[in-house]
Amino acid sequence: MGFWDKLANLDRRWIYLSVAISVIFPMLFVIKFPVEISPEARQLYNAVESLPDSSVVFLTFDYYPSTLAETEPMSIAALNQMFRKNMKVITMTTIPLGGPSIAERVTRMVAEKYNKVYGVDYVNLGYKANYVAVLKGMGSSIESIYPSDNRGTPLKDLPLMNKVKNYNDIKFIYVVADNAIVDYWISIVNAQYKTPVGAGMTAVMAPKMYPFVQAGQLTGLLGGMKGAAEYEELVGVKGTAIRGMDAQSLVHLLIIGFVILGNISYFVTRKKTGPGVMK
Amino acid sequence: MKVRLLSTIFFLASLTAMAFLVFPAPAAAQIEGGIFRTERTAVLIFVILFSAVILTYTRWAKQGKKLFIRKIAGLDAVEEAVGRATEMGKPVLFIPGISEIDEIETIAGVSILGRVARITAQYETPLIVPVRYPMILAAGQEVVEQAYTEMGKKDAYNQDIVRYVAGEQFAFTATVNGIMMRDKPAANIYMGAFFAESLLLAETGNAAGSIQIAGTARPEQLPFFVAACDYTLMGEELYAASSYLSHEPLLLGGLKGQDFIKVLIVAVIAVGSILFSFGVGENFKQIFGAGQ
Amino acid sequence: MRTTLPVIIAFISGLIMVVSFFLNPQTTFLGNTEEEVLQWASIIGGFTLLLGVVSIVRVNSKTVGQRKKGWLFNLATLISIFAMAIPSILPVTSQSNFGSIFYKVFPESWGSLFGTAPGSIYDWLFNYLDSPMMATMFAMLAFYIASAAYRAFRARNAEATLLLLTAVLVMLWRIPMGEAFLRLFGDNIPGYINTYIMNGANAAVQRGIVIGAALGAASMSLRIMLGIERTYMGKG
Repeated sequence: MGFWDKLANLDRRWIYLSVAISVIFPMLFVIKFPVEISPEARQLYNAVESLPDSSVVFLTFDYYPSTLAETEPMSIAALNQMFRKNMKVITMTTIPLGGPSIAERVTRMVAEKYNKVYGVDYVNLGYKANYVAVLKGMGSSIESIYPSDNRGTPLKDLPLMNKVKNYNDIKFIYVVADNAIVDYWISIVNAQYKTPVGAGMTAVMAPKMYPFVQAGQLTGLLGGMKGAAEYEELVGVKGTAIRGMDAQSLVHLLIIGFVILGNISYFVTRKKTGPGVMK
Repeated sequence: MKVRLLSTIFFLASLTAMAFLVFPAPAAAQIEGGIFRTERTAVLIFVILFSAVILTYTRWAKQGKKLFIRKIAGLDAVEEAVGRATEMGKPVLFIPGISEIDEIETIAGVSILGRVARITAQYETPLIVPVRYPMILAAGQEVVEQAYTEMGKKDAYNQDIVRYVAGEQFAFTATVNGIMMRDKPAANIYMGAFFAESLLLAETGNAAGSIQIAGTARPEQLPFFVAACDYTLMGEELYAASSYLSHEPLLLGGLKGQDFIKVLIVAVIAVGSILFSFGVGENFKQIFGAGQ
Repeated sequence: MRTTLPVIIAFISGLIMVVSFFLNPQTTFLGNTEEEVLQWASIIGGFTLLLGVVSIVRVNSKTVGQRKKGWLFNLATLISIFAMAIPSILPVTSQSNFGSIFYKVFPESWGSLFGTAPGSIYDWLFNYLDSPMMATMFAMLAFYIASAAYRAFRARNAEATLLLLTAVLVMLWRIPMGEAFLRLFGDNIPGYINTYIMNGANAAVQRGIVIGAALGAASMSLRIMLGIERTYMGKG
């Protein structure tokens, strides 16, 4: 078996090793390239920025711990922007596994930075089963779905929730998700209650959302770690997404390199075996 | 020929009905105390039209009219894959997605499982069906047991064919990957709603050397299945699969009706594009906007 | 009857949801029914979680009891379930439900270990065991996509070549280094990729697939409601 044949049938473990090295390398040596802002990320940033100070907004933590690397920087950057504008933030999740804890941890961390008080400046509603019922139900009354917050405090005892009844009192819904829940935020909440919805999503989910941005059903979109890095750049927070860009860059380049190499070996070995014969 | 003629008349009539809707535009505002949500009139018309078309085609199919359904290579390959598994004496692995039973994709997956189970029962090929939710466990067991009974292979059925493995997405994936590497199924069939685990499953199956057939309506997961599987059913092909595999005219009629509506939608898009190109599409747009 | 009754139930349930979509919830009973039914679904959803726990305990304890191959893994699963669940449902203070009884036996200082608040056992296990394990599985995608791309992205024909070139362009566009590289060929290249590939070709294809899938789902729902499609309930 010649070199090109070996390359055409390369053991996938060599590929795995190369990917591992490409992720580890930028952690040791920082190579920084400027992050360019996409129109969709800017649209989302401007939508939040143009809201009056002290507006009540929803921030959802619709993601599992598995995608924290992509989604958590979005939540942190968004919270920084919201608290800086003295907005009142209501957080919730449709994810039972980890959603409430992540919301609690991240919100508390950013709130402390801006001296925000729980119950007055922000509230974590937590998780409720059956997202369709939850999203629809909050259109009539948030309290009917969440009689108490994530800590078990009745909503009527929280000053912030006294002035919020349903979606009519929410100025913007900022969804951070790693799953198809955004479809429901659009089709149930935006379409039926007209509350503007913007989203930050994992890179794999984002391409599906472009038609909704075009149709105006989604006000802005962040895609994956790059989207998170763009938002960090816009808000002025130097977070983990910007730092992760180096590793992502190298792995993308590595994959492109592999694709080129794979094609060269494909053409060389095809010439040997004759046209039309596929290995 | 007669069916084609009737289809054309039906199509033109529907298109005319839609065109009438353009003038005058319906009242967008909802009457506060009314019984009906008038802003959803366009959706109601669509629902009635859609149901009428599907039912008409189903009726025609029942009457024995010949309906042409294009070949779906992925589904034709199912029987071939089970045959290969039988020859090799290896199992067939079927995953009905990782969503709950309330997801229509999962129901489609479970329906296809029923068809696949009939084939595996016929050939007496071992079948493994790992599931992520207890509700699907119950439904899956019922479907597979019925399939084995109908094929007269009740003795070959056992409750462990459909098994609950884990509720957490990646714990489920890890378990299924383990089954793939240990049992080396000859064929892996993925039908239903899949998310980030799609590539983890398909790539492991590929490494294990299995024939792989996937079907999902999640556009974001399609590229992964296309890259790692031998056949991929896209979007509506998943919902058509059960009917296609059944070869029952009654079910195929529904597919034909669905295609008819699709052509109608394409026509509406084309009309809208032309109207907007001439700057007179606002009324047209209002119909669809009001339907939200 | 075994066939007819489920079909009737499926038809009525589906019909209620369809009809209520068009009725005003403020003035009609059915308009509200939709929300009521969804609340029931929410309650049933809660019970399903319980059903899951019962099922996993039953399946795993059977394997452990029979000492089947790999039973230690099943035992680890059982221990993990209880290690996560029990501390999270124990009373946090003597004022909590059953707290007065519990803290007669155990010191009240243990309260901070229970529940799901920061610092609790559940929180600790979740943050330092469960989260990293899930993240690791998700991160494996990077390795798998690299090997899948190496194998699948071959310029076999015109369509495959187009797919390959598009993928390479999008991969470059999604990284700062790549954007800088693309700008060498023209300042507007990243913008063009966003406009023509993501907002053009990609959005159009997504729409096509979504419209087709939505029609397929609607058609299947209708077939289920009318009892034409019954395979999902184990009927031919």
